[in-house]
Amino acid sequence: MNYIFHILITVGIYTMLGLSLNLIVGYGGMLTLCHAAFYGIGAYVSALLAVNVGFHFVWCLIIAAVVTAIVAYSISIPTIRLQGDFFVLATLGFQMIVFSILNNCTELTRGPYGILGIPRPSFFGFTISTPGLFLTLTLVGVSLVCFAMKLLTHSPYARTLQGVRDDEVAASALGKNVVKFKRSAFVIGATIASCAGVLYAAYTRYIDPTSFTLDESVFILCVVIIGGAGNLRGPIVGAIILVLLPELLRFLKIPDAVAANARQVLYGLLLVGMMRFRPQGIAGKYAFD
Amino acid sequence: MLQFVANGLCKGAGYALVATGFGLIYTTTGVFHIAHGAVYTIAAYVLYCAFSLLKLPLMLSIGLALTCAAGLGILIELIIYRPLDRKKASGVVLMISSLGVYIVLINLIAMFMGNETKIPRPGIETTMTFGGIILTRIQAIQLLTSAIVIGMYWLFLSRHSIGKLCRAVADDSTLASVLGVRVEGTRLVAFAVGSLLAATGAVLVALDVGMDPHVGFPAVLVAAVACIIGGLRRFIAPALGGLLLGMIQSLVVWQTSAKWESAVTFALLVVFLLFRPEGLLQVRRRAKE
Repeated sequence: MNYIFHILITVGIYTMLGLSLNLIVGYGGMLTLCHAAFYGIGAYVSALLAVNVGFHFVWCLIIAAVVTAIVAYSISIPTIRLQGDFFVLATLGFQMIVFSILNNCTELTRGPYGILGIPRPSFFGFTISTPGLFLTLTLVGVSLVCFAMKLLTHSPYARTLQGVRDDEVAASALGKNVVKFKRSAFVIGATIASCAGVLYAAYTRYIDPTSFTLDESVFILCVVIIGGAGNLRGPIVGAIILVLLPELLRFLKIPDAVAANARQVLYGLLLVGMMRFRPQGIAGKYAFD
Repeated sequence: MLQFVANGLCKGAGYALVATGFGLIYTTTGVFHIAHGAVYTIAAYVLYCAFSLLKLPLMLSIGLALTCAAGLGILIELIIYRPLDRKKASGVVLMISSLGVYIVLINLIAMFMGNETKIPRPGIETTMTFGGIILTRIQAIQLLTSAIVIGMYWLFLSRHSIGKLCRAVADDSTLASVLGVRVEGTRLVAFAVGSLLAATGAVLVALDVGMDPHVGFPAVLVAAVACIIGGLRRFIAPALGGLLLGMIQSLVVWQTSAKWESAVTFALLVVFLLFRPEGLLQVRRRAKE
C-alpha cells in the first residue's frame, strides 16, 4: 500500500512541476532547462530553514517561494530578452551554476552529503507522519496548483501571454509589454516549482544535489513535451505516464543494472518521436513548430 | 604560472576540436547539435572496443573510431534532422530532438558497456620538459594533433570547393540553393566533418584520461560555450574560444579549486550572451532576432 502511496505522491509532485513549467513553456513559449534549479532552491531553502532554524512548514514554504521568486526575477532580467537557442543555453548555464553551488558550497548546503533529518510538517499539533497522510497533503497542494492554474490560464493575462508567444511583434504593436508578460510567467512558474521542492524535501526528509541536476530539468521538460503543452490536461497526463512507465518496466524483469538506462532510452525515444510526429504531445494544445 | 598556461592550452586544444565541429554544424545547418556529445562518446568507446578489447593496432582503432563517428553524424542528420528540416521545424524542435537522440544513444552505451570509467591505456605516461614546462607525451600529442587538424580544417574551408560551399550555405541557405548548391548534400558534409573533428578530440582525450558514458554532455556544453565566446560567424572562431576557455578553466583551478570549474564556464557563458552575444571575433550580427 505504501508503494502505491509513494507512486501517487511522486505523480503529484511531478504534476505540480509539469504544470508550473507548462506556464513557461506552453503558455509563454520559452523553452527552459533550469526548472530543476528552482525546484532545488525551494527544497534547499525550506530544508535549511526547517533544520537549522526550526521554522514551521508553512513559513518554510512562504520563505522558499519568496526567495525563489527573487532569484527567478533576477535571472529573468538579463535572459528574457534572448531568443531561441540562446535563451535555452542561458537557462542551461543557470542550471549548471545552481547545481555547482548546491554541490560545492559545503559550508551552507553540506554539498554532496545532503541535508538529513528534515522534520515532518505538522498542522495544529497534528504531524503528517504516514505516507497516506502525506498523500492527502500532496493532493491538497496539487489541487491548489490546479485551481490557481485554471484561474490564471482562463484570465486575460494568459490570453495576452499566448499572444506574446505566438507573435511577439504583433503583441508589442498592440501595446503589450512583451518582456513584462514573459518575465511574470517565468517568475510564477519558478515559484510554483519551488513549492513542489518544499513538498519533496518534507516528503523524503533527505535531500542532496543529485535530485536537482540537469537530467531532472530534462525530465520535467519531458513531462510537459510528452504530455502536451498549452493546456492543463497535458502536463497531468505527462506526469502520470512518465512516473508510471518505469514502474511498469519493473514488472518486465529487466535487471536492475540496466533498468535506469532502459528507462532513459524510452524517454529519449518518446521525445524524438513526439517532436517528429506529434509536436503538441499526447494531450496538449500548443505545438512547437 | 607557465605550467598552468601550458596545461590550459592542452585542455583547450581538445575543446577547440569539439567546438569547431559543433560550430561548423551549427552555422551550416542551424541545428543545435546536442547529439554531438553522443558522437563524441561513441568515438571514444569505439576506440576502447577496438584497441583494448579486440587488441587492434592503435592507428587502426583510431581510424575506426573516426569513421564510426562520421557515419553516425551522417546517420543522425539523415534519420532525424532531415525530415524535420523538410517540415521547416524551428530551432527549438531540432534542439529537443537532438537532446532525445543524445539521451537514447548515451543510455544504450551505458547499457552495453556499463557506467564505470574505462581507460584504454593504463599506466604512467612518460613526460618531457620544454624550458621548465612539463608535459606528458599524450599532452604534447594533443597539442600537435589539434594544431594540425585545425590547420587542415581551415585549409579545407578556405581553399577546397566543398568547404566554400559549407560557408555559402551557412551564410544563406536559400540563396545558395537558388544558385544551384545542393544544400542537403552540403549539410551532410558539415555533419561528417563536424563529427570527425569531435571524434578527433574524443580520441585524444580518451587516450589521456579515459571515458565513461557521460563525458559527451560536458564536452558539447563546453563546445557550445566556446562557440559563443569565440563567435559563430567565422568558422575558426570556436577554436579560439575553446583555447581561451581551456586556459581560463586552468587558471580557475589554480586560483581556487577544481570544483568551481563548471560554474565559471557557465558564468562566462551568461556574461557573453548578455554583453557580447556576437562573440569575440565578430561585430556584424547580434543574437538572433
